[in-house]
Amino acid sequence: MPSAEHIKQRIEAAIPGSSAEVEDLTGGGDHFRALVTAEAFAGRSRIEQHRLVYEVFGAEIGGPIHALTLKTLTPDTIPAP
Amino acid sequence: MSANQFDPVPMAPPQPAAGAAPSSPAVAAEDRANPIRDAIAEAISEHKVILFMKGTPDAPACGFSARTVAILQSLDTPFAAVDVLGDPRIRHELSALSNWPTIPQLFVDGELVGGCDIVTEMFESGELEQALQ
Repeated sequence: MPSAEHIKQRIEAAIPGSSAEVEDLTGGGDHFRALVTAEAFAGRSRIEQHRLVYEVFGAEIGGPIHALTLKTLTPDTIPAP
Repeated sequence: MSANQFDPVPMAPPQPAAGAAPSSPAVAAEDRANPIRDAIAEAISEHKVILFMKGTPDAPACGFSARTVAILQSLDTPFAAVDVLGDPRIRHELSALSNWPTIPQLFVDGELVGGCDIVTEMFESGELEQALQ
């Protein structure tokens, strides 16, 4: 069963220069929320940014990881309040 | 809220081809004509706004699908809806077609807009309303 820390480490290992904040929404190890900031997102659409993160987990999304709620930012984006 | 604000798209699974191998339909489907994927592609091209979801707009079967429906309804957007739970192959083929792993999936003018997260973000920023015009 993946933990929030495990999800964070895998995202940061797979997307160079990224930083992730990951929360286990239910405590059950299958519903997570991640805020991912990466230079690699620059110039890409939201769809493409989210795909980069989903691709880290492949078929685990919808399997052991039932849901991964995503918000993606580039380092120079100021998050909305 | 009118019950016929959306247009449910029936996506009945076609009958298996005569002589089809009984095991592993997903693998076997790669090697022959793919009527489910074709039906999905046709539905996407025929509807300006189409949502692939779990359950129906009146009875969503997942919180993410429910939130996406609520956003579309709050914008008074007519939309077609497909329940991917009707046949597990719909979800498999949809994700293969869209290169997007999760449900719901919203398409506008034939293009994937996103799932619940992106739709919510675009709704809050006003981009969704623009995209739907």
